[in-house]
Amino acid sequence: MTVLKTSMRNFFAHKGRMALSAIAVLLSVAFVCGTLVFTDTMNTTFDKLFQATSSDVTVSAKGASDSGETTSDNGRPPVMPASVLAEVRGAQGVKSAEGTVFSTSVTVVDDKKDNLSPSSGAPTIVGSWNGNDARTMKITSGTAPKGTDQVMVDADTADKHHLELGDELGVISAVGTHHAKISGIADFQVTNPGAAIFYLDTKTAQQTLVGRTGVYTNVNVTAASGVSDPQLKQNVRAALGAGYKVQTAKETADANQKDVEGFMNVMKYAMLGFAGIAFLVGIFLIINTFSMLVAQRTREIGLMRAIGSSRKQVNRSVLVEATLLGVFGSVLGVGAGVGLAVGLMKLMGKMGMHLSTSDLTVAWSTPVVGLLLGVVVTVLAAYLPARRAGKVSPMAALRDAGAPADAKAGRIRALVGVVLTGAGGYCLYLAAGVDKAKDGSLWLGLGVVLSLIGFVVIGPLLAGGVVRVLGAVILRVFGPVGRMAERNALRNPRRTGATGAALMIGLALVACLSVVGSSMVASATDQLDKTVGTDFIVQSDSGQLITPQAVKAVKDTPGLERVTEYKTYEGDYTTPDGKTLKDTDITAADPSYATDLRTKTVAGNLKDAYLPNSMSVHEKFAKAHGIHLGSKIRIAFKDGATANLTVRAITSSDVVIDAGAKYISIATLATYVPADKMPLDDLVFATAKDGQQDAAYTSLKSALHDYPQYKVRDQTDYKQALKDQIGQLLNMIYGLLALAIIVAILGVVNTLALSVVERTREIGLMRAIGLSRRQLRRMIRMESVVIALFGALLGLGLGMGWGATAQKLLALEGLKVLEIPWPTLITVFLGSALVGLVAALIPAFRAGRMNVLNAIATE
Amino acid sequence: MTSAVTIPRHGGTGGRTAVAARARQVVKAYGSGETRVVALDHVDVDIARGQFTAIMGPSGSGKSTLMHCLAGLDTVTSGQIYLDETEITGLNDKKLTQLRRDRIGFIFQAFNLLPTLNALENITLPMDIAGRKPDKQWLARVVDTVGLSDRLRHRPTQLSGGQQQRVAVARALAARPEIIFGDEPTGNLDSRAGAEVLGFLRRSVDELGQTIVMVTHDPVAASYADRVLYLADGRIVDEMYKPTADAVLDRMKDFDARGRTS
Repeated sequence: MTVLKTSMRNFFAHKGRMALSAIAVLLSVAFVCGTLVFTDTMNTTFDKLFQATSSDVTVSAKGASDSGETTSDNGRPPVMPASVLAEVRGAQGVKSAEGTVFSTSVTVVDDKKDNLSPSSGAPTIVGSWNGNDARTMKITSGTAPKGTDQVMVDADTADKHHLELGDELGVISAVGTHHAKISGIADFQVTNPGAAIFYLDTKTAQQTLVGRTGVYTNVNVTAASGVSDPQLKQNVRAALGAGYKVQTAKETADANQKDVEGFMNVMKYAMLGFAGIAFLVGIFLIINTFSMLVAQRTREIGLMRAIGSSRKQVNRSVLVEATLLGVFGSVLGVGAGVGLAVGLMKLMGKMGMHLSTSDLTVAWSTPVVGLLLGVVVTVLAAYLPARRAGKVSPMAALRDAGAPADAKAGRIRALVGVVLTGAGGYCLYLAAGVDKAKDGSLWLGLGVVLSLIGFVVIGPLLAGGVVRVLGAVILRVFGPVGRMAERNALRNPRRTGATGAALMIGLALVACLSVVGSSMVASATDQLDKTVGTDFIVQSDSGQLITPQAVKAVKDTPGLERVTEYKTYEGDYTTPDGKTLKDTDITAADPSYATDLRTKTVAGNLKDAYLPNSMSVHEKFAKAHGIHLGSKIRIAFKDGATANLTVRAITSSDVVIDAGAKYISIATLATYVPADKMPLDDLVFATAKDGQQDAAYTSLKSALHDYPQYKVRDQTDYKQALKDQIGQLLNMIYGLLALAIIVAILGVVNTLALSVVERTREIGLMRAIGLSRRQLRRMIRMESVVIALFGALLGLGLGMGWGATAQKLLALEGLKVLEIPWPTLITVFLGSALVGLVAALIPAFRAGRMNVLNAIATE
Repeated sequence: MTSAVTIPRHGGTGGRTAVAARARQVVKAYGSGETRVVALDHVDVDIARGQFTAIMGPSGSGKSTLMHCLAGLDTVTSGQIYLDETEITGLNDKKLTQLRRDRIGFIFQAFNLLPTLNALENITLPMDIAGRKPDKQWLARVVDTVGLSDRLRHRPTQLSGGQQQRVAVARALAARPEIIFGDEPTGNLDSRAGAEVLGFLRRSVDELGQTIVMVTHDPVAASYADRVLYLADGRIVDEMYKPTADAVLDRMKDFDARGRTS
């Protein structure tokens, strides 16, 4: 009981010194809880949406996906004849049934040809206005669409693009472009997660999306009272026979939910991963705090021991304090997490995904997980300092403050650290040397983990050397103040090591990813330069296929020498080794593609692959399935006939662009696949006539002005787009790593603040003998900068090692060029110095404000 | 009103005046109203240059406060303090810091040295801070006087208490300050080590012409001084020249007795 009482008193007496540790726990717990609440809320929102939008039973064409997604290779939704509707109505237990048409393979533009599709990646849906939608949408102004020249738009999209009744819109589908004026605006009665929705009347929708009337994509069936959904499903299926997809509301909602969940889980686990890193960094901060508290209390603990406290009691009293800290930080963290989730929802709202706070879902497990994580991590981190406290001898009460360093532990630490780092280095070396990527990634992972732990263990020993070098380079300029800063940073290497290591972790990841990212860009650019023989590429950034009208617009552009179409399709392969490979991709292109992309071959001539009934495969595929030049592969094309194709070229697997592609000509594909099932183009390449590149680029851009969903890029723009894309991804990851780095910065502040307290008398003495406030502040800032740079140096070094190894490993996958992004790394290094300065602001200010006399008098 | 303004007997180390520091009508009070405590009550004092002055008095008499005020470590409530011709009352923190750095030396009772610096670095610290180069010859002489030549590379933790205090004395002397203030410099030492340190202080006055002011409650320590000032209740109540330990002790007993009867 007394143990608890003293712990409580200590905890509250030193609450200031624990504040930063509490913030670290708070931040990490908040991130975990925020992620959980946010993803749960998203799930609730989608769940509600799918529940609300699914009719009791939905009938759709066979090719449709479970979730009702209607995209298909040919750009038109899979449809059923209108006669299905009558058959469904005849089934038992059907109260009503309604045929609808909708498609997501569409783009809608306003009268200025600006794309109205959401930029968030949510779909654009054009469909027929029907009773089922009327349950979830309310017409707030105007009327439902009637006749070919009317369209209704959802209120969110109308708001975002300032659309008004009477505005003309263009609906671009594989059929063509249909123009209509806005007749009404409908508002969502459920939370809209960001889709842009447009309604036409049924006939117009059929014409616009499918190209003919008398077809439906879905039949929405409502059950008569007393008929359950599964029962209704059975009845409908019995009435229709096979050949249709029949789903209950629950099945549709579940399938939709599954699609969303996949994405949500990726996001959730990625964010939890970053929260984990923040926790890891927080551990260092907590270890440091308790180590320093124990050191400052050595005499007090010695007294406790002298008057009869057992080691266990002392040990336990520290752990009780840690538990209090953990509980305190976690409780606040759970609260902050909910706040964070609300903040994220508001942010999503700004990006077009409207989430309602009334859907805010805090599962019971969220606070439990948060609290448990926070407390367990804090107590674990405090374990080592607690053990050290238990080892304090009763003699310490009589000695002057400051426990002597444990030299033996230093040697053991050095040994363990060197062994771990060595093992990690060896694993990385092995990873760089393997010839199979699969084995390599295991070595890489092992190497990363071992070298990280090794560096953490050996950190305090490295601190000595690195700080001295940094001191010699940077601090000497500042004379005696610099020298004292260096000595202070060196005074407790374990503390400096742990503080630096915290920063090291985040920066190592930044360095590693930036090396891999820039190597990716460099490798791709290198290969583009070497292999691409065309000037322009036309593609959609949102994954829309290119409609025939747009392809025609490209082909009609003046100044072009040739245009190459590029499609992907799939089929079941039967290879010479007798195996059947289901749903395997095939790339169909015009023969000129062999010139546009000069992929290396290891056997045969790539141009021959475009001959009738010929194809190419890549080296790995050939090896795996015993394929040689002249081998026959049987391919049963999806929705098409079966072909027997001759392999006439084997391409190198060692490429970045089009890695793993197997080529045939479009003409060959067309022989086996009926015209209405032929896939639309994924990409279109255009090559200008000699000397007309600039003019052709301009003409191409204006030719595609009516199709804002497609982008034309020349090689320079394409490289830039590639760079931007990778840069964006990296920025997102850096953003998430910022959490870990912020915790590490708090760690630097914490170390400095506590050591200022610890050195009160020293500071008083220096001030008394003439150190000015400015010099004192500079000394503390220098110390901070040195600690930060120490962490940065270790982190960047480690990260570059990881990145270089990863590149060597990925070279097997075509990542040939190692590029070290020096500007980024140097910026990070200099940024760390700045971080050091910022971290020292408050501790330095407080040290400067100290009263000289009080400081000297402090016992 | 109390006064200890005296005419010094000799001129000191080539200073411009015979008085190194003086206090005029200095009042130091803490708190206000009912809780007001007066630590120094209109004190006038002159510290003669080239002399060793001891300030004595019972606990709470204000002796440490007087020293802190004279040294520019503490502010006064009213009155003026001059170091040589400079009035230090009213100087801002920056000026005071410079003053302490360039013109004053300190020896505290405990914790005089920075643990991260070795003996020599501790000795030259005030000059390092000021960015001045130490006078090599003078430094050698000081180090020699305090007998530390073979311990210059040692860290404070590797030195005995007496040695640490001698390093502190050397630090105070090395910068050739106009005046050195000692706050019970031998309070933490045994009598032998204490005598050693006091001997060095005495010699630095005799041989190097240093001005020293020391606060102590030890009559033996006071007997090393040229002059002893007695403080009681924030006032200077007596002084003694060429004290001996016995005489100081007698005088102290006297005060105690008077304090009890009055």
